[in-house]
Amino acid sequence: MTTSAARSARMFADRIRDSAARGAALRIVGRGTWLNAGRPVRAAETISTRDHSGIVDYVPGDLTLTARAGTTFSEINAATAPHNQWLALDPHGTDDGTIGATIATASSGPLSTGFGLPRDLVLGVEFATGGGMVARGGGRVVKNVAGFDLTRLLTGSWGTLGIISEVSIRLHARPEADVTLGVSMSGGDDDASRVRQFLRRMPFKPFACEILNTAAARVVANHASPVAIFRLGGNRESVRAQRAALQELGHLEELDSALWFRLRTAEPDDAIVFRLSQLPSKLGECWNAAMRVAADCSDTLIHARPALGVVRCIVPRSDANVAALARMFAEPRTQTRIGERLPAALWDACGPSVANAPLSRRIKATFDPNTVLNPGILGESN
Amino acid sequence: MTSVAAPLAPAIDQSLASRLAGIVGERRVLFRPSELLTYTSDGLPSYFKQPGLAVFPGTRDELVAVVRALAERGVPFVPRGAGTGLSGGALADGVVLIGLNRLTRIVSVDAENALAVVEPGVINAALSRAVAPLGLHYAPDPSSQAACTIGGNVAENAGGPHCLKYGVTTNHVVALTVVLPDGEIVTLGNAQGENEGYDLVGAFVGSEGCFGIALDITVRLSRNPEAVRTLLADFMSIDSAAQAVSAIVATGIIPAALEMIDQATIRAVESSIYAAGYPTDAAAALLIEVDGATAGIEHDVETIEALCTEHGARTVRVARDDAERTRLWQGRKKAFGAMGRVSSHLVVQDAVVPRTRLPAVLARIHEIAERHRVKVCNVFHAGDGNLHPNIAYDASDADETKRVHLAMGEIMRACVDEGGTITGEHGVGLDKLPYMQLIFSEDSLATMCSLRDVFDPDRRANPGKVVPIHSCREWHGVPSARRG
Repeated sequence: MTTSAARSARMFADRIRDSAARGAALRIVGRGTWLNAGRPVRAAETISTRDHSGIVDYVPGDLTLTARAGTTFSEINAATAPHNQWLALDPHGTDDGTIGATIATASSGPLSTGFGLPRDLVLGVEFATGGGMVARGGGRVVKNVAGFDLTRLLTGSWGTLGIISEVSIRLHARPEADVTLGVSMSGGDDDASRVRQFLRRMPFKPFACEILNTAAARVVANHASPVAIFRLGGNRESVRAQRAALQELGHLEELDSALWFRLRTAEPDDAIVFRLSQLPSKLGECWNAAMRVAADCSDTLIHARPALGVVRCIVPRSDANVAALARMFAEPRTQTRIGERLPAALWDACGPSVANAPLSRRIKATFDPNTVLNPGILGESN
Repeated sequence: MTSVAAPLAPAIDQSLASRLAGIVGERRVLFRPSELLTYTSDGLPSYFKQPGLAVFPGTRDELVAVVRALAERGVPFVPRGAGTGLSGGALADGVVLIGLNRLTRIVSVDAENALAVVEPGVINAALSRAVAPLGLHYAPDPSSQAACTIGGNVAENAGGPHCLKYGVTTNHVVALTVVLPDGEIVTLGNAQGENEGYDLVGAFVGSEGCFGIALDITVRLSRNPEAVRTLLADFMSIDSAAQAVSAIVATGIIPAALEMIDQATIRAVESSIYAAGYPTDAAAALLIEVDGATAGIEHDVETIEALCTEHGARTVRVARDDAERTRLWQGRKKAFGAMGRVSSHLVVQDAVVPRTRLPAVLARIHEIAERHRVKVCNVFHAGDGNLHPNIAYDASDADETKRVHLAMGEIMRACVDEGGTITGEHGVGLDKLPYMQLIFSEDSLATMCSLRDVFDPDRRANPGKVVPIHSCREWHGVPSARRG
């Protein structure tokens, strides 16, 4: 196949070979909208997928789309909207973000409650390996078990195993009705578990459900107190029933659906961002841990995703906050803590990366034998 | 093949049998040809391979000890669940077969978080039965679910009719404890929170026994839907049934299942003990299920009924009760069994095509079958484009056998030409090995081999499956038979 996408992969592979020959490491970026995410990269040169954009294949009736890595969410939305379809993936950041970077970092947002994680939506990837080969995993169809699953291995590998040149992904049809509602929360310890228990009992799954602390409620929902925000979708009758059921949690407020975009873009570029997670049943513990962060670091935005048991903290950057978090990070972990954007000092305080586990190190060494690709971004030692 | 396999199978002898018997007990080690007969094939009766020996550990510790004993001696092995696979993936050609069907413990169930930890030999349907009182079930439902094991499902990344809405095995596995072929025990994934680092669960699920053996599997359970509606729509042409499928998918309704059954299959089913009341004069029937909250479900049923009618359905029937629903499903799930009445042998494929290409591909399959004078039946997961064309034949008829294999090869190529893949849920195993190069470049295959080598550098786990052996040689630039 000699599509332009295949040529992109070849170009990436050539660049990797060239860098390896010169002993130079590469930092891989999409449009560079999220450069300070991940641990510091030890690379002098940068390679961007920015110029490798465009939709390669989109047959609306198949509800799948294949795009080159540098294709932005804006481009994908513009192509799918006329067919009443969408890519149900809303990673943090604007629609300038690229599909390649999103899959490489396995980034997701509120819609993961209803539609799953990038690993559940991605169908295939083409990539250039650290050894300078062009490989492909999966395909363009919605079900595929041919060969070992390189697609999921590359998803969330942060560019350390290969440069993704093309992504095939599952789309969804837009629902007949799609509403955004809010329910005020008490601000007490049991908010998170109350919402979670409600979700467990209900016979439907919302598209999205987040709980916001006061600071986040103010920024995102123009709301003066903690609030749970829901996005309900489906046919009209179903949404009517979902809305009625939701009243069990409290008085419903109609909210502007633009708040979902504000939530995606709530963090300033230099914010400190990390996620805490535990079993969903222990969401309350994660929430309380996040509230302790907010008590020490004022104006911390917190939003919890009850269905997944994840709480995300957005902490304003200041020396005092870095010091406070360093102390906190030094305590024994009771939750899984995943850094999104941290200053170098905090990455060190996070402790060893799971990327240093023997199996992961062997995978890295096999796919990137010359340590060319994004070295250090996962905290992996050489 | 034999020139490569031979140097890979050292030392399967009395001494090894004694060593393994010391771990699992003498009764659990089989090496006489008569005892091994059961293990010479899987659910696809076109391949026969004789294991050198079969061993059946009864506990996790025994399993680990067996794997380590084999590692010490450099002996290759093939893990096997219930042997219901349809790719020849669980066949052991002169090597050790490790049977996992005694490891049947459901270790724990966490209803609050909808998680269960199971041993690899737990039968798929047994897990759903066990958690039913909690209002939960395990969603992936291969047609063999009454017999197949969750360990086998993990190896194959198994699907099933309800995967259209709920996803395949990899979407339901949260974490795994695995014994690698060298005996090392590793934990993949994170059952306690978000996964960090590489998606090793994703890499392991679907690795067809080539990366190691799962000791325990943490799976996500799904809530039983509040309401279920099952419809049967029959059509006078396959093409109009396929058009109806596309129309339903395009609405945004994600049916729990959307299956197509063609006339040949309908007739086989209706003349078997699994008769489900399918109309035998229809060219094709669609079995459609929607589930979820009661509110709004009738609206979806009406939409689907209207679309079927609009695309030429003769009748659309909605199952009135659970008994009728079970009967409709029984016919579909036992369709392959019913084919057994037609002829002694059966080949079945598992290609997937883009859903809009279904009408074209079905027409092409029909043309290929006519030309080769073979009887192709189609019963498949239309909603995700996952075809299961199958041909019943008499293997003692050399000419017919040859025509069947020619037709199957052409059908596979036709599916790939339409942008499809060679297997949607059955796995590559031995059966689809020759087709891997139709869809993957040598570099892609070599990259897959390199991933296998991370988990199993000695290439002792399920040797000769999934990736054609010459592709693996190229990665290293040296022949793979290291012990030669």
